[in-house]
Amino acid sequence: MTATTTPPVAKRSLFGKEELKVIKDPLWDNNPIAFQILGICSSLAVTTRLDKALVMGIGVTLVTALSNVMISMIRNFIPNKIRIIVQLVVVSGVVIVFDQFLRAYMFDLSKQLSVFVGLIITNCIVMGRLEAYAMSNPPWRSFLDGIGNGLGYLWILAVVGTIREILGSGKLLGFQVVPDALYAAGYVNNGLMVLAPGAFCLLGIIVWIQRSISGYVEK
Amino acid sequence: MNTSSNGYVMGFAVGVCVIISAALALTANALKPIQDGAAEFDRQKNVMVAAGLVTPDDLRPRTELEQLYKDRVSEVVVDVKTGEVVAGKGQGDVALLNKESAKAAKDDKDAATRFRAVAISKGADGKPDSYVLPISGKGLWSTIYGYLALEGDLVHVRGVTFYKHGETPGLGGECENPVWCAQWKGKSILDEQKKLVGVGVKKGRVDASIPAEKAHKVDGLSGATITSNGITNFVKKDLVSFDSYLAALRSKHN
Repeated sequence: MTATTTPPVAKRSLFGKEELKVIKDPLWDNNPIAFQILGICSSLAVTTRLDKALVMGIGVTLVTALSNVMISMIRNFIPNKIRIIVQLVVVSGVVIVFDQFLRAYMFDLSKQLSVFVGLIITNCIVMGRLEAYAMSNPPWRSFLDGIGNGLGYLWILAVVGTIREILGSGKLLGFQVVPDALYAAGYVNNGLMVLAPGAFCLLGIIVWIQRSISGYVEK
Repeated sequence: MNTSSNGYVMGFAVGVCVIISAALALTANALKPIQDGAAEFDRQKNVMVAAGLVTPDDLRPRTELEQLYKDRVSEVVVDVKTGEVVAGKGQGDVALLNKESAKAAKDDKDAATRFRAVAISKGADGKPDSYVLPISGKGLWSTIYGYLALEGDLVHVRGVTFYKHGETPGLGGECENPVWCAQWKGKSILDEQKKLVGVGVKKGRVDASIPAEKAHKVDGLSGATITSNGITNFVKKDLVSFDSYLAALRSKHN
């Protein structure tokens, strides 16, 4: 049996250049929503209020990071035949644990988010990063990739959520921000912002702005 | 280690399932008491929302609201067959009482729902000023749970909440929208001949110029006919169930 020589592994540090790139890329250049166009459905549904959007964003960040780490640690042992199912089982486990914690400590929000917490399992960002990154990269970087993509998703959700809550209900995080004087003068809450089509338009505008600034051209 | 041999694949699959299941079971069991506490607080909050003590988006902390419930709301258990209050029992005793009743009267299909809890909210002076009845029944996809609060005259509605359901968000799920629930305020459950008619969800908009509609109907929910019909039906059913209790209270007040 001939021994195979493995190529020398490049020196890996905790927050080296490569690691920082892994976190920074998904925040702007490789943003999961604006660039990869993943995770759109949940971003329409949960952004009616900023608090829902933030909890969902944090949830997706935690789920993506944790499942990235777990799959990355066992990536050399997973049989190829059941690869996708194993990824799904791990993601489902993490999402259900997150859901249980929400129901215990943030009951009202878990009722507001209802099925969309469970639907994080089907969020393309999670499975997408597992296949694209965690299956072929070491655990710490996979964790950072999960954090980066989650934060990229979260900031877009926060922007959409802020605009929708202020324009759609005059509040932010439950506090009234549109002064009563404006309502008396004839200002009305924008009903379109509360519905999915309004969110869709906002997302389209954000994708347009992001691609104009980053200069990406579709081939 | 040959990772594509059948034995390895089977073993790996079983191993993953066992480990994840164990982790989930551990988490669920550890968190259950806290989740139950949160669900009970949500129920209490909804009783208070129906009775008008608290608004749905109230910003007061949980401990303050729990204290408000302790101070202003008392729970009684009613035997709906006789209309009488069972002394010394509260919300937590209902399940056991119903279980015993079902065992004692196996042929009576109403025996398992014979005992129901009613919450009575007291005014600032300590006198009862609102009676909050639990309402529940079939919507389209799920059982809908809510509270219907009646004024002290036991005829007019003070408020309603639908706090637990699995209806479609945006359609039947709008039954929990406080704007829709606000329409219920002031409707009467008795008509001019003192007959029990309940409050109905109309298909379409209520015509306020028709007295019968103005007094007993609320606007329909768009795209949610079956949910709306379900609500009309189970509100009536529950009011019929509590009828002997409410009639006894009304005659006591008069």
